Amino acid sequence: MRRSRSYVLGAALLALGLLLGACGSGEDGTTGSDEPERGAITVGSDGFYEAQIVGAMYALVLEDAGYDVSTKLNIDSREVRLPAMESGEIDIAPEYLASLLSVLDPENTEVVNTPEAAVEALEPLVDEMGMTLLEPSDAVDVNAFVVTQETADEHSLGAVSDLEPVAGDLTLGAPPECPKRPYCIPGLKDVYGVEFGNFEPLEYGAPTVQALTAGAIDVALLFSTDPLIEENDLVLLDDDMDLQAADNITPLVRTDALNDEIESLLNEVSALLTTDNITPLNARVLVDQDDPEDVARDFLEENGLL
Amino acid sequence: MNANLLTDAIGWLFDPANQVGEGGIPIRVFEHVRISALSVGFALVPALGAGLAIGHLRRGEFLTVTAANVGRAIPSLAILGFAFYFVLDLTGRLGDWPTVITCAVLAVPPILTNAHVGIREVDPDLVEASRGMGMSGLQVLRIVEIPLAAPLILAGIRTSAVQVVATATLGAIVAGGGLGRYIVDGFAQNDYEMVLGGAILVALLAIVTELFFSAVEKLASPARARRPTSFAPAYQEVAQVGRDDVSG
Repeated sequence: MRRSRSYVLGAALLALGLLLGACGSGEDGTTGSDEPERGAITVGSDGFYEAQIVGAMYALVLEDAGYDVSTKLNIDSREVRLPAMESGEIDIAPEYLASLLSVLDPENTEVVNTPEAAVEALEPLVDEMGMTLLEPSDAVDVNAFVVTQETADEHSLGAVSDLEPVAGDLTLGAPPECPKRPYCIPGLKDVYGVEFGNFEPLEYGAPTVQALTAGAIDVALLFSTDPLIEENDLVLLDDDMDLQAADNITPLVRTDALNDEIESLLNEVSALLTTDNITPLNARVLVDQDDPEDVARDFLEENGLL
Repeated sequence: MNANLLTDAIGWLFDPANQVGEGGIPIRVFEHVRISALSVGFALVPALGAGLAIGHLRRGEFLTVTAANVGRAIPSLAILGFAFYFVLDLTGRLGDWPTVITCAVLAVPPILTNAHVGIREVDPDLVEASRGMGMSGLQVLRIVEIPLAAPLILAGIRTSAVQVVATATLGAIVAGGGLGRYIVDGFAQNDYEMVLGGAILVALLAIVTELFFSAVEKLASPARARRPTSFAPAYQEVAQVGRDDVSG
């Protein structure tokens, strides 16, 4: 009958119209050309507590923005982590600039003591591997020379350069590679003219701190963000002549996985981090045994990023 | 094993620069011998004393077995850790005492076990005969048991010494001296010639120690270098001594 044919035609046209209309719009109804694709992202890091905290921060801000984030915060050596990034198993990892440079360019024995110099040297190297470095943070984890309060008072020590006149009477305690590291004994001599009377090779961490507080050594080598410094009321001597490397914590991202949104989110995290505010976070994990992810979340919430 | 590494290590061993200074090979070897000698020395009195007593009296033998097994099961590294903090607390100094303490503990089981077994294996008829002649317990021990057990006792000391020489390398982990310094420092500084050179030196020192004590064993018991298959000579000697002692 004629009437039923026009009903069918009308229904078909309506259906076609709806179908075309639906294809034209994105998820939320806009024409989706500037919404990033929020796919799966894997954040990896060294199994060391500080790297895990920063890695967790990256993961949390990305997850909050709608990405499907998985984490592998336990990959201890660059020999494993970097190939994993090249192959796409990991997309993002927190890196330490000067240390990364010494691994990617071991022949380069120059002291790289500003983040800008480090990034400049690194850019071509990471580019070759299909990766990109984002903005460096102000959180630097480098060699720190520490003394007890008594020693500092006795010899009026506030900075590393203050050691020069008295170093011959003092004993340095540091890991056994120190005599060969440019940021340790050779660097102290070249940059500061500091030559210690005696050197004791000790394992990093508690053995060194115990030897220092027992008086068996006068100056100890720790890392600048080590919570043991504050816990034992030690004095961190200021690196006033910039011997130490720019080991700034910086996001390293697989170029193919990077988009503007990820870049700006991670840069926001980096902008927050400083050596001073990351040390108490380390303390929470090391001393209070808190979970790195909880510590990261609390920090981000306190600073309005979550 | 990379052939180049081996030749490099040998080159390192003979490098004149490595023979001088407080980190030089002669000094480190001397330190290592001193640590080892002190360790075995400190272990000798308690281990030998206990082993001889237990073997002679045939009492408390479970002690030897337990001590030997537990002694071998405790990781030396753990003892080193405790010793390090203990010595640091007590003296406020770093040095070789933690190494000596650790190695002395390690040195006890072989000496203890061998002394015990050595004494026990002396023919009980011989011991009975000696007693029958009027010797006191101590005389039996001194005149009969110890001389006959000497090879085994000395073998125990030899085993102990070699073990100590090999293990004294651990001390370098806690700022100690000795040949372990080459292994620990070389590893930390990525200098594998040093690591291998150090390891070769330790192995050589262990071999020298073994040869030295073997020579001592032979000297101490020329007629008893092998276990006696006939007791006739022993009986005669015991009888003679018995006559001398009892009448004297």
